[in-house]
Amino acid sequence: MTVRYTEQPERPLAPVGEAAFHQWVFPDGTLWTQFFRQGAGYLLRFPELADFEVSADGCTVQGFPAPGVPSPTVEHLYLNQVMPLALSRQGKLVLHGSAVDIGGQGVAFLGESGRGKSTLAASFATEGTRFLTDDGLLLEWVDDRCMILPSHPSIRLWEDSQDALVSERTAMAPAVSFTSKSRFLAGPGIAFCDEARPLRRLFFLGECEVETPAIEPLRPAEALIELVKHSFLLDIEARDMLARHFDDLSRLAALPIYYRLDYPRSYAALPAVREAVIRHVLEQKESIEHELV
Amino acid sequence: MNLSDKVSIPTQVMARTVGDETVILDLASGTYFGLDPVGARIWALMGEGAMLAEICATMLEEYDVQRDQLETDVLRLAEELCAKGLIRL
Repeated sequence: MTVRYTEQPERPLAPVGEAAFHQWVFPDGTLWTQFFRQGAGYLLRFPELADFEVSADGCTVQGFPAPGVPSPTVEHLYLNQVMPLALSRQGKLVLHGSAVDIGGQGVAFLGESGRGKSTLAASFATEGTRFLTDDGLLLEWVDDRCMILPSHPSIRLWEDSQDALVSERTAMAPAVSFTSKSRFLAGPGIAFCDEARPLRRLFFLGECEVETPAIEPLRPAEALIELVKHSFLLDIEARDMLARHFDDLSRLAALPIYYRLDYPRSYAALPAVREAVIRHVLEQKESIEHELV
Repeated sequence: MNLSDKVSIPTQVMARTVGDETVILDLASGTYFGLDPVGARIWALMGEGAMLAEICATMLEEYDVQRDQLETDVLRLAEELCAKGLIRL
């Protein structure tokens, strides 16, 4: 990771003169993040929680907690939201997704918030299949191979997922105050892969109600549209960067690795989902490798 | 919209071809549209600033298609793209 981050003393979130050039709003209408320009750089505001100042090149970030907001909350926002955005400003490709290492192959899961990316990664990791990231999927091309880089060795889970997946002995990072998600550190109970792995399969988590896991291939154009929807992008007005971003995603979309994964939304079904994914990845390993050469 | 109209592509709208399809995208608004190779050829001609009637004339030379059908298709595509903000009059 090549972002320099420092947390500054808390300060009130003062009104900003200019209007936000972009914002993220939850489906229920709650404002989550506002994007402002600040000189050549950016101010990212998480209302009532924190401000983050990001340099124009995305290499430096300073976090300013709102009065009374604990440091772990701000660090959590930085790791999961701000750092991926800063990396996107550096021209890096970061997607909303989790990833695991199956037999040395990087397998990623992309989906909207709440579709089960972290839960799936945790389900694999607690069964000994190492995870590379639980969100903020950082990709990098190395010699014509797209690699998944490992991110922060922790997984965030909602309370019900915690109960279903994580043993009480697993170390928990300090709680954060804006969500009932907790962050679990990788360790003996949660296996983490700290080396880059080639991206060999990417599953988009579908919305279909199904009784058994179902895996369907996606056309490259469908994959491109999904990749666009699931990518982090800090400055949506910088045309040169947009063009490069679209080029990067198009290059990625041309790989023969995209599938839609539908599965029952119950913890009891997770072993069957893992088995279906592992079988799919290993069965097609040879043909995929042949196509990727 | 009619055949004497000229359309242009807003600067923030981009197209990329993957496989045998083309995806048009307005990255700022997140609006997207998928085109088959014939649609992609019409889109490319729109980007050159031709009148819709001129686009039809070029397409008639390049493809084995009835004029009436082609004109209907070009107009329908132009209206659809315009409604999504991916081209403008």
